[in-house]
Amino acid sequence: MKLYQMGLIALGKALNALCRLSGHDAGNFPGLVLWSIDKNYLKCFSVDCPIIAVTGTNGKTSVTNYLSRIFSMSGKKIITNSQGNNLDTGIGSLLLKSCDMRGRVHADYLILEVDESHVPQVFKHLKLDTLVSLDFFRDQLDRNGEVETLILKVQNFLKNNVNNNVLNADDPNVVRLCPKGKNAHYFSVEKYDGATDELYEAGEGKFCPFCAHRLEYDYYQYSHIGRFKCPNCGYGDVDPEVQITSLDFENNKFKINGETFSSKFMGIYHLYNLAAVYTTAKLYDIDSKYIKKAFATFAVNNGRMELFRLNGAELMLNLAKNPVGANMTLRLLNREKGEKELLFVLNDNVADGLDVSWIWDINFSVFNNVTKVVTSGTRAYDIALRIKYSGFDEGKIKPIPDLNKAAAEILSTPGKKFAIANYTAVQPTRRALKAQIQRGERK
Amino acid sequence: MKNKLRLLHMYPGVLDLYGDSGNVEALKYRCAKRGIALEVNAHELGDSSERLIENADIIYLGGGADYEQQQLADDLTSMKGAIAAAYERGAFLLMICGGYQLLGQYYKDSNGKRIPGLGLFDYYTAASDKTDRCIGNIVVETELDGEKYKVIGFENHGGQTYGVKTPFGRTLCGSGNTRGGEYEGFMESGKTNVLCTYLHGPLLSKNPKLTDYIIAKCAGAESLKKLDDSLEEKCRAVLLKRLLNE
Ligand SMILES: [Zn+2]
Repeated sequence: MKLYQMGLIALGKALNALCRLSGHDAGNFPGLVLWSIDKNYLKCFSVDCPIIAVTGTNGKTSVTNYLSRIFSMSGKKIITNSQGNNLDTGIGSLLLKSCDMRGRVHADYLILEVDESHVPQVFKHLKLDTLVSLDFFRDQLDRNGEVETLILKVQNFLKNNVNNNVLNADDPNVVRLCPKGKNAHYFSVEKYDGATDELYEAGEGKFCPFCAHRLEYDYYQYSHIGRFKCPNCGYGDVDPEVQITSLDFENNKFKINGETFSSKFMGIYHLYNLAAVYTTAKLYDIDSKYIKKAFATFAVNNGRMELFRLNGAELMLNLAKNPVGANMTLRLLNREKGEKELLFVLNDNVADGLDVSWIWDINFSVFNNVTKVVTSGTRAYDIALRIKYSGFDEGKIKPIPDLNKAAAEILSTPGKKFAIANYTAVQPTRRALKAQIQRGERK
Repeated sequence: MKNKLRLLHMYPGVLDLYGDSGNVEALKYRCAKRGIALEVNAHELGDSSERLIENADIIYLGGGADYEQQQLADDLTSMKGAIAAAYERGAFLLMICGGYQLLGQYYKDSNGKRIPGLGLFDYYTAASDKTDRCIGNIVVETELDGEKYKVIGFENHGGQTYGVKTPFGRTLCGSGNTRGGEYEGFMESGKTNVLCTYLHGPLLSKNPKLTDYIIAKCAGAESLKKLDDSLEEKCRAVLLKRLLNE
């Protein structure tokens, strides 16, 4: 190993130690420093085990956490970025923490969540064994450029740089990454009772990426995810290796290859995540009993379908970085039969992509039995207006920019509540809800 | 006053970025509150929509990815005569971002290739460096029927538009037609039925007076019934304070 590379590792480790001494979580910082010295600093690491990466617009934190949990339960030593530091610099910082002074990383598996725009950059230097591609939606356009450019970048990169592709068979933006071949492992979920014949929410991928013909769908599960096919060239006619079937929403049960599983949550997008987890775990011969246990008991609890309870109020918080994420929560809200309330926290910080016009692509046209909406965040009024213009009674909308007051308001009455928070809003929302619960329980 | 308006939404299937469908929703909502029905029709690539153009009170084009705009420049220019005629008889042209660019002389992309526009107006657009997009909140001061009004939105465009003699308004915060420029958008002098702008947000979501201006022009109404806009006004006050230190 070159002296230069050892120097970089030593510097990174020293920065890590300094941050720890001063009581801070290093986060992306050491990686960022090394990156600013050498854009290719990731080549300093040598990883002696298979790397599994999870990418896509929505669901990568959940899938990464489930995989890590399942692999750990089966006795494997795992290194993972479970806190969602998923950019080049975050992954570098993680490796710095885990490696020895020569940059060697020892584990049975590296399981990494990777931002979709950073896949080529990160795995130019680290050998990728399996890439799990969940979905590609319009997200943070300012930072990533347009969706099309992004997909082309990943597609090009994958031609020579991966052993296995785990792919969502029902997303035309994903299937194109590896339309055929023996290293493609497709997953899918059978048509559920909320599927529609027409596109219900804004979506991409309306046209065939190979011949530009309009794609045809048997049905849409949500947004542009569904059973699609190009009538002109046959694109999309794939055979899923894993399909979730026999969906039982009453009892939270489903089947994969004849085996019955139960799940804490049954949202359609969550089922796609579980299908991805199962396909990947099976690829590495993980015993089903660990998968079963994780599906039945594990929750990520990081603003992803996280439950909060106070004096008969039960609130489910869900992160939404884009219309698809918000629509997912609204689908759950609309499935709930009785009355309920919604809290929507919207920020417009840099990490949120600054632009909040995506909220107008959220489908509020169905808003079953919603009795109150509380809005908060730096753009509390924007989301309040958006909901007003969908036709919801303005008198039932309460914009409360102060998040602590908004949390107090939504938890002030018993009953079912749903909360949606965007990227930089989700952690402050969790804190505000927890603080309110503490105050409420003391009383 | 008309109690029914027809809006023709051009290419909603491909030009649907940045929540621009919200403009239609805002128009529809504020029309309905005045007892005006807004009929929305769509023109997609390859459709023959001469009749729809002929009958439209509002012709609306939103923004989209650059890749998609190339596809539809040809389709649009094939309808040049019909659109020009609609404009002449008084149909309102509401053109956002890509729509704005396409009504001009041409769009020169980053490779120097010229995509001809509809040529209805004199201005033209040139792509700037990919890293040099104008992105951010923007406030434009315009004049609607002689009254000054601050229009709040969000811009996100790589193209810089030159040769505009009669802009939509003065940029108070943000870039507008050119990076760091003084003016935004296009309106034709002596005409009250065209508005071309880079503003998303969507445009009509936070600017109720602008929405009503368009409705009044199209419906041939002197004035419209006042609505309760207290929520809109609070939203505007928060943003203007933040963006302009008002
Ligand atoms: Zn095709």
